[in-house]
Amino acid sequence: MLAHILVAEDQTDIRDLLVMNLRTAGYEVSAVGDGEQALARQLESAADLLILDLMMPRMDGLEVCKALRAKGSATPILMLTAKSTELDRVLGLELGADDYLTKPFSLAELLARVKALLRRADLLAAAQANAQAPGRATNIRNGELEILPAKRQVRCRGALIEFTALEFDLLLHFASHPGHVFSRAQLLNAVWGYTHDGYEHTVTTHINRLRAKLEADPMRPEIILTARGAGYKMRDLA
Amino acid sequence: MTVRFKLALTVFATGLITALLVIATVVYAFQRFEHEATYRRGTGFLGRVVANNDYLFETYEGQPEQFRSWLRNMVLFEPDTQLYLLDLDGAVLATSGSAKIAPGFKVALKPVLQAIGQPDAAYVMGDDPERMDANAVVAVQPVRRAVMSAQDPVVGYLYLVLHTGQLPEGRWAALRMAFGRPALGLILAIVAFTTLVAVLIIVSVTRPLQRLTDAVATLSQRGLDDSPTGSPPVVLPAATRDEFGQLTGAFVMLIDICRSQWNELRRLDHFRREGVSNLSHDLRSPLTATVACLETLDGRWGADPARGEDRRLVEIALRNTRNAARLVQSLGDLAKLDEPEFKLHPEVVDAGELLDDIAVRFAERAMQQGVVLQAEHDALTEPPFAALDIELFERAVANLVDNALKFCGPGASVTLAARVVDGRVQVSVADTGPGIPAADLPHLFDRFYQSRQSVAPATGEGGKGLGLAIVKRIVELHDGAVAVTSTVGEGTKVVLSVPAAAL
Repeated sequence: MLAHILVAEDQTDIRDLLVMNLRTAGYEVSAVGDGEQALARQLESAADLLILDLMMPRMDGLEVCKALRAKGSATPILMLTAKSTELDRVLGLELGADDYLTKPFSLAELLARVKALLRRADLLAAAQANAQAPGRATNIRNGELEILPAKRQVRCRGALIEFTALEFDLLLHFASHPGHVFSRAQLLNAVWGYTHDGYEHTVTTHINRLRAKLEADPMRPEIILTARGAGYKMRDLA
Repeated sequence: MTVRFKLALTVFATGLITALLVIATVVYAFQRFEHEATYRRGTGFLGRVVANNDYLFETYEGQPEQFRSWLRNMVLFEPDTQLYLLDLDGAVLATSGSAKIAPGFKVALKPVLQAIGQPDAAYVMGDDPERMDANAVVAVQPVRRAVMSAQDPVVGYLYLVLHTGQLPEGRWAALRMAFGRPALGLILAIVAFTTLVAVLIIVSVTRPLQRLTDAVATLSQRGLDDSPTGSPPVVLPAATRDEFGQLTGAFVMLIDICRSQWNELRRLDHFRREGVSNLSHDLRSPLTATVACLETLDGRWGADPARGEDRRLVEIALRNTRNAARLVQSLGDLAKLDEPEFKLHPEVVDAGELLDDIAVRFAERAMQQGVVLQAEHDALTEPPFAALDIELFERAVANLVDNALKFCGPGASVTLAARVVDGRVQVSVADTGPGIPAADLPHLFDRFYQSRQSVAPATGEGGKGLGLAIVKRIVELHDGAVAVTSTVGEGTKVVLSVPAAAL
């Protein structure tokens, strides 16, 4: 089945180019020119992925994003923005967009992000399906750390710890390959689905947060270890 | 020393000196008055004695003992006074005192003649035969025989030595006597009192100056910004009509001018940032469309061997458009980082680990260039933890590494290191590249600065001298500092130092 992507972008040239290239890449694409139409179209017939421009007439990308999340929609959203760092972070962390790209971006990067977002949505759906069929998903233990992929729960030293979706995915990736060293680029590719240079700091930030939440002393980590000059790994107890 | 203190000191010193001079004058005048009074009394007395005793000299010649006792009787009233009969040479013929007169002693005749010749003189000082000095007030009357001859019939002198009380010799001793402790204490008290009054007056007169000083000090502490913390604006004291008032007025005007110019500057700077930010923002959409178009074309023609030349053209257009896009982005980012409202998102992180990751990130490019890129570790020192905005700090270091790789040829090395020195984490990027001429070093981190000697390839962040400006701004936002040392032909070392996180 072809994945269906809805593009909302007020600038015709960019919109046409996006539609053209997404279609070439094999997706079913529909496009609108403002936020109101995007919201209406999505509520009418849900697409598998939304690409929203941040700055649009009548209703901007953020408002569409918030309105959809308020209605319980879990459709992945890729935000396009012409703004610099500050707003991007707010977007990424708080307002419910799953990913963002700063203009000007490259088409290859956009296509890679789209692919990653769709794959993650599939995995999530599969995990939820697993959760409904108990006993299927295997829980992972690593010393005092216990990960329950089906419930997306983590216990450490007996306490339940809250993680964001990406933090959990990163932890799960580490835990699934204990002792295996990953560079930041590899993690970016495997967990985020990014292939381009320039976002590695995101990995550092997330590893920092994992350590802050898991480690007894985040400055002397014992669970997520550093392999000098190579990358990061989870300790291998076996 | 404050002006007030100086003025008070001046008043005190002047008061003291004036008081001492007045005392000296009074002492002198008092002594003179005493001398004069004594002299007049003595002269009058002697005049009456001579007028009432016609046979003085004859008595002396006839009955010297009787004459001596008569002399004694004459001065009974004032025991300290001595009366003498002198001959014309000044030798003592008879004395009222019992003290021995040194044989051959002669009273100096000059004061004697002066006393006789100038009856109106204020007083005359002469010899005291008993004490053999010349510091006594003397009165003199010539003695004549009862039967006068034709010539001046003076045969001797009655010579009266007047001791005025117990006045000791020497001015200072006299001063001490006349103005002993009670008077001196009183005078000092008066001087202190007047000084105090003067100080009060000085304080009240200079109060506007003090207020002005305080206001200006507050102002210079707070700067010209309109108080954002809600503290009341600095108010200069109300202008009075004197010089202080004029000074205050001048200051008020000066501050007004400064403030309006400062506000104008800030307004212009704000416009500049806004302008750059908007321009950068507005250029992004057309650049996005252009890049997307070129990429689409590139993708379509990539597989077609007949389109080889077209594809090369597209590649050139694409490369240049991407460079323009990067420059636009750097400009926009720098404008963003410049905004006063910009906030970091610091996280405590091991800077050494971050350098490792950055080295990994650039490893492939370094290998292709034949440059040895490594992150150094010093296991002995404490781990360099610091509160860093990871995205921005990595960008700063990456810009430096990118720059180093840009200028380094095959065989060179680029070394990253982080260590804790005196409570600061020092992150260094050192290369063995061509180095930077000393003349360029101070301007290296200026915006759009391009060395005349070394032309930077137009790649990387901005490519037009924005990369290092961004590094500097990011480090400043971290309360840090950038230092660069370089030797032409040997290499360059850039050190970013930021406060270390408390472990």
